[in-house]
Order: sequence, then C-alpha cells, then structure tokens
Amino acid sequence: MHLFRSEEHASRWEGFRSEHAAGLLTLAQLRDIMATPFMRERLNGRYVSEAVGYRRAFLERLREVTGNDAFWHPASR
Amino acid sequence: MDSDLLDRTYHVILTSWVESARAPHFTDVARALRVSPDEARRRLHAVIATGLPNWLFPDTDLIASFAPFHALPTPYRVSVDGRSGWHAQCGFESVAVGWLFPGREVRIDATCLDCGDPLSVAMRDGVIVTEEPHGVVAYVDIPFRDWRPNLPYA
Repeated sequence: MHLFRSEEHASRWEGFRSEHAAGLLTLAQLRDIMATPFMRERLNGRYVSEAVGYRRAFLERLREVTGNDAFWHPASR
Repeated sequence: MDSDLLDRTYHVILTSWVESARAPHFTDVARALRVSPDEARRRLHAVIATGLPNWLFPDTDLIASFAPFHALPTPYRVSVDGRSGWHAQCGFESVAVGWLFPGREVRIDATCLDCGDPLSVAMRDGVIVTEEPHGVVAYVDIPFRDWRPNLPYA
C-alpha cells in the first residue's frame, strides 16, 4: 500500500493495474478504515487477547468503506 | 502460550518502539518483563506466531516489522510533534500511527512513487490536520485476500 499525490499519479504508476483499480482509496477512506479498535487499541494491554474481535470490526469497516468490492474481501478460512 | 503473557509481551514491544523509535531486541524485552533473554525470545516468537501483521527478519530473532511500525526505512517517515525517527510499515499503516500518540500531531512524510515529489499528511487523534498536496490517495495492487503471504509487499 503506497501513497500518491493524486489519483492521476497513482494510475500512472508502473505498478498500477487497471484490473485492480479497486485498490485505489482516498485519504479519507483510508483514515476511516484505519480507525477501528484493530488499530486504536494496540496499547490497551489486552490487545492480543482481544484481536479476534477487533479484526472482525475492522473487516466490517473495510466492507462498508469499499462498498463490499471483491478486491477487498478477506481470504476464506 | 498463556494469553496474558502474549498481551504483556506485545505491549512491551510496542511501547518500547513508541518511546524509542526503534525496534526492541528481545534482550530489551527481557529486561522490561524481568525474564531471561531466552524466555523473552520465546515470547517474541509466540507473539509473531499469532498472525497479527508483525514479522521477523527471516531466520533471525530480529523484529523487522510490527504494525504500524517498520524497522527498515520505508518511504513513510513519521515524526511526532517534530521529533522524527519512526517509519510506518506501509502507506496503509502510516495513518494508524497516530493512535499510538494520543493528542499529539503525527506527520507522515513520503514520496510519490510516480513523480518522486514529496507529499505529507499530518494527523491528530484520527483527524487529518493538513494534507500536502490536497488529493493524496492510497493504492495497493494486491487483493486483500492475498495480503497474508505477501505482507512485506502489500
């Protein structure tokens, strides 16, 4: 995951793949995805014990922000 | 391993990194936990084995990355209230660093991989304070389902 000065710059990058255009996020989208307890609670002293629940909330936020695009679906377990 | 031991070890590693801006060695972890170096090394490996986005340099006991930080100089340089030295694991995690520094301004300085020009984002408690230039975006070309085996590249 890299940051670019604009969508135009990202889509011009040699690593950009049009079939994976769903991997493009605005900064606001990225901020929202990274604002769940999975990231916020890392220093609470119980993080490893509670990480499974945090991950579930993170995946839900990821689904919401990305419009449930298949590119962002987690690996099946 | 007992979950309480994992929690305490994880906490020591991350708080040490927050304070010192560098990856702790397992002997640092041992000192903080008041356990032997061998015990700290075992605990470090147990934390890494939990599957959280943390990893060691291959075939070593050295922490390479521990979300949201990276021990190598990634393009995502982080400074906190003007103090520099941290590097974010990736662009994704760079915006999460601020949660480890509540109430403080966390600035991410990076370089656009397309044009090589600088970009910067400053955040405080999850709020974007400044963004230069306006319109910064993030991109990953690896589908999320494939991140686990490609963590250093995702």
